[in-house]
Amino acid sequence: MAVALGAGLAVSIAGIGGGIGMGLAGGKAFEAIARQPEVGGDVRTLLFVTLAFIETLSIYGLLIAFMLVGKIS
Amino acid sequence: MIFGMLDGDLFSLGPILVDHLVVTEWVIIAILGIIAFMATRNMQVVPRGLQNAFEAIIVWTYDFFTQLMDKEHVAKKWAPLLSCFFLFIIISNYSGLIPGAGNISGFQPPTSNWNVTMTLALITFFSVHVAGFSEKKLGYFGNFVSPSPLMLPLNIIEEIAHPLSLTVRLFGNIFGEEMVIAFLLFLAPFIVPSLIMGLSLLLGGIQAIVFTILSASYIAAATGESH
Repeated sequence: MAVALGAGLAVSIAGIGGGIGMGLAGGKAFEAIARQPEVGGDVRTLLFVTLAFIETLSIYGLLIAFMLVGKIS
Repeated sequence: MIFGMLDGDLFSLGPILVDHLVVTEWVIIAILGIIAFMATRNMQVVPRGLQNAFEAIIVWTYDFFTQLMDKEHVAKKWAPLLSCFFLFIIISNYSGLIPGAGNISGFQPPTSNWNVTMTLALITFFSVHVAGFSEKKLGYFGNFVSPSPLMLPLNIIEEIAHPLSLTVRLFGNIFGEEMVIAFLLFLAPFIVPSLIMGLSLLLGGIQAIVFTILSASYIAAATGESH
């Protein structure tokens, strides 16, 4: 029971943090592209790398959740 | 078994045990090799067809890495390795999306096992240091004490964290995606999983690009001016 709850909490809390971070980064990138469309290519590359960094943190939570789910069954 | 541990060896070559993943990797390498061989078999000055496509890819990657790394000779030296990373990872990621792939027992995309992604990340780790050392000789070790010797432990931890984060990022993404597709297939066998499979086409491509860009930027940081 506690393990199942922990798995759910791990992925959801990691998801909240990652979601906020991705929203901020993506929003700022769109602002930058809208203001200066000619830098779109550079900003897009940087944005993907940044999103990958942020996503890794959520993925850590997902992995912990998978580990905990594996412990149940 | 959860986490895609090695769940059975097919045969052994001397002391090395060969399992399903290794065979899948061999197939991927063979596919890439055959396409490359066909593209270069009958080369002409004015390229056509497959040769044209390959030349376009190579010119594009060289331009991309040159822009990313600032130093052109470093980019030329390491572009083949990085392009190989990209091609291998993208075909591995997509191999899980072949229709009916789930019915083949033991089949899984190689990148959804952390042994494979750890290997790729370790190749990056060693090539970063080889690149830095061959570019700046002993001055490379100055990178570790910049901006001040106090940062030495942090810099070393950072160097170790790079391959770890590369490993977990690629493995976690592909493994999580495979688990989600498997779960959806279990819930609704038709139509519904195709939506998330379309999304994983996008994600698999992005993960391959991200692995390549991060490897390139680590090499750029090691060979460039002190960071």
